[in-house]
Amino acid sequence: MITLLTGIASSSAALTAERVRMEVISQNIANANTTRGLDGKPYQRQHVVFETALRQQLGGAGTSAAPQAVQVSRIEKDNRPPRLIADPSNPGAMQAVPDINIHEEMADYITASRSFEANLAVVKNARAMAMQTLSIGK
Amino acid sequence: MNPISAIRQFITPDTGSAALVKAMSDPAASGAVPFSELQKLGPTALQQPLSPSQPSGASFGNLLGQMVNEVGAKQAAAGDAVSGVLSGQNVSLHQAMIAMQEANVSFQLMVEVRNKLLESYQELMRMQI
Repeated sequence: MITLLTGIASSSAALTAERVRMEVISQNIANANTTRGLDGKPYQRQHVVFETALRQQLGGAGTSAAPQAVQVSRIEKDNRPPRLIADPSNPGAMQAVPDINIHEEMADYITASRSFEANLAVVKNARAMAMQTLSIGK
Repeated sequence: MNPISAIRQFITPDTGSAALVKAMSDPAASGAVPFSELQKLGPTALQQPLSPSQPSGASFGNLLGQMVNEVGAKQAAAGDAVSGVLSGQNVSLHQAMIAMQEANVSFQLMVEVRNKLLESYQELMRMQI
């Protein structure tokens, strides 16, 4: 197979990974007030862990010079305990709500969005370079 | 750095047309061999085969056909990716877009090769004999 747009395999993998990260962050924001999860406890904040994956089909088998792509290794639960707030409708009882800081989540979301944008810029540039190279013959 | 500095080596004064005319009019200076010397070489030395040697590997036509097939395969892959996005399968939008762009670039490459081939053919047809 001819590869005309070289070097965008890693960017494509990064785009996929950043999308997963954005999905997890939006899940955190959506569940910021969820006091009953599937297990009956308040929702626990989650975050993604990225890892590099060798693209062995692109470079040599397992060599350090092979292009390294990123992939989501796992989605971890944050271990911070839920906040206890007073429940006015139920005097004397404390309500456990998830300890999710919406500002922190938004900052994370902006970071993920900008990383996505940077990888998109790489893809666009690779395409522009290929098209400019093709215009040599004109 | 001047990008067209490499052109200067073609237009230095001592390789210009004036120097060439001078060298032709002065056989001793250019080291030209007299025709009597050439005749001693005999007929076999002068009759070099003019037909091009046969290529050992695949012909250019085969190569071109292979390229057209690959471009077609890329177009088909892009179509599959787009229909995967539209039918809600596990294909993300950027994968479909990248597949489409790859198909586009390879198609452009094929068009450029075809343009060059046609251009050289027309150049040959215009040649005065």
